[in-house]
Amino acid sequence: MGTATGIIRALNSGIKHIATKRFTLRYPEEKLKFVGDGYQFDPSTGVGIAGLKGRHMLFHDHCTGCQLCSIACEGVAEAIAMVKVPEEQKQNKKSIMPQIDYGKCVFCGLCVDACPFYALYMTNDYELSSFSKEGLIYTPAQLQVKPYVAQDSEIQISDRGATHG
Amino acid sequence: MTVELPPGLALQKVDERIMTLNVGPQHPGSGHMRIIVQIDGDYIVACDPDPGYVHRGEEKMAEYRNYITNIPHLERPVIHDSCNVLYPYVLGAEELLGIEVPERAKYVRVIASELNRCIYIMYWLAIYGIFLGHSTMFMWPAGDRELLIDLMEKMTGARVTHAHFVPGGVRNDLPPNFEDVCLRQVNYFEKRIKEYAAVFYDNPILISRTRDTGILSRQDAIRYGTTGSVLRASGVDYDLRVKEPYDVYDELDVHTNVMKEGDSYARSRIPWLDMMESCNIIRQALQKMPKSGSVRVKLKPNPKTKGLESVYKRVESGRGSLGCYIVSDAKTEPYRVKLSVPSFRNLIALPNLLRGEKLGNMPSVYWSLNYWPVEADR
Repeated sequence: MGTATGIIRALNSGIKHIATKRFTLRYPEEKLKFVGDGYQFDPSTGVGIAGLKGRHMLFHDHCTGCQLCSIACEGVAEAIAMVKVPEEQKQNKKSIMPQIDYGKCVFCGLCVDACPFYALYMTNDYELSSFSKEGLIYTPAQLQVKPYVAQDSEIQISDRGATHG
Repeated sequence: MTVELPPGLALQKVDERIMTLNVGPQHPGSGHMRIIVQIDGDYIVACDPDPGYVHRGEEKMAEYRNYITNIPHLERPVIHDSCNVLYPYVLGAEELLGIEVPERAKYVRVIASELNRCIYIMYWLAIYGIFLGHSTMFMWPAGDRELLIDLMEKMTGARVTHAHFVPGGVRNDLPPNFEDVCLRQVNYFEKRIKEYAAVFYDNPILISRTRDTGILSRQDAIRYGTTGSVLRASGVDYDLRVKEPYDVYDELDVHTNVMKEGDSYARSRIPWLDMMESCNIIRQALQKMPKSGSVRVKLKPNPKTKGLESVYKRVESGRGSLGCYIVSDAKTEPYRVKLSVPSFRNLIALPNLLRGEKLGNMPSVYWSLNYWPVEADR
């Protein structure tokens, strides 16, 4: 194959893409859809349930204040601190619950694997930016809130190429 | 008082014609490492790679963490290839802890590791394209990589640092309907990378820039101890997935791509051929995988090893043979973890490849060695 033919073939290959659809995901107007409601773990079988490892969610009625999540995080990021909860929120005998610093968290989900009481899960919420360092520290009361997520875009593959539809 | 400086840094009396040039460590073309080159006009006379700018002490950190909490930080050296970096450690820890892995978990691991290999090579290829000034080859791999990252996100819940492999299997089972989505996206991905031939690999401009530059002969490739695509581009048929199959690679049909030339072009083409082979392996694994069953052995929260013993396991990563040596002393933490990384071995060949080359060929020769600075420094 001659040099000229090769260059023409290369140009032709690129020009064909003018007609194909755009693959770019236009975030934040479009958001990717994930499977499930986030990463969860079933302590009875010892296997997790697939899902995005995003912000945590804490179920106050299940948390016993056993600190296993905090111990699991010690070797990873030291992001989980056990804090005293106010009297009106008191659910367990020790009245301590995890508080997570998302400035340190690496979203590995080992704390979820460590929880034997179905109290700590992860959600599809990944938009955690804040103007201050303190804003990244989520208290037990904030972790209790189920996030609102509107994610519906998925990769569509057709003859004319792949798009985020 | 005189201080003995390392050879690259010491002042030396040189010919007036020869100039010393520092490429890096902040140069986008070197990637957190420095290449000290001595040039005579446009020709490189000598070259001294100077890695070590991103040393993180991963091996020492591993001595203070137990076998499970070691997982998130040991995959950091190459975040784009995180499953493969973790693979030898997990295989070694399983042998020390005496765990038998379920069959389905082995297949899930193979799929995850092959997807990760493609993700790494696509990132590598994007950088290789922009090194040569080919901006289309920067945009296309960076975009098509998204197809596989999407699959990994569905499978593991994270885009790059998955923390998916654990001693005893994988963290979670595949999501429902994953097999169909995976097959569709991998087939489309393979169709896409075949288009790279016309625009990049058969492009006469690329061929004229990379053919016969930085030739590594077969004998030298073996003598320097290079691995992976660099070794296979020099005509040595060596792939750990075939030679020392781990997990279920012995049940799959793996073809090794070999080229004889040993130049930059061959070294850049082999990873591209490997991606197509990875697509084949994923399709085979999806077909042969048991449709149901456990994917993880239930472990105690803080597993302990039996006694003073050591284990060395190695896998074929995106860059070559990656080994992990673990010594245990009947505690919850390993006594010593040593990573034997392919990047560092491939870098050893660089001074010999660059001698006598033009300075303009340096980026293509350097990046074709499949070198990842963070992994070499670890």
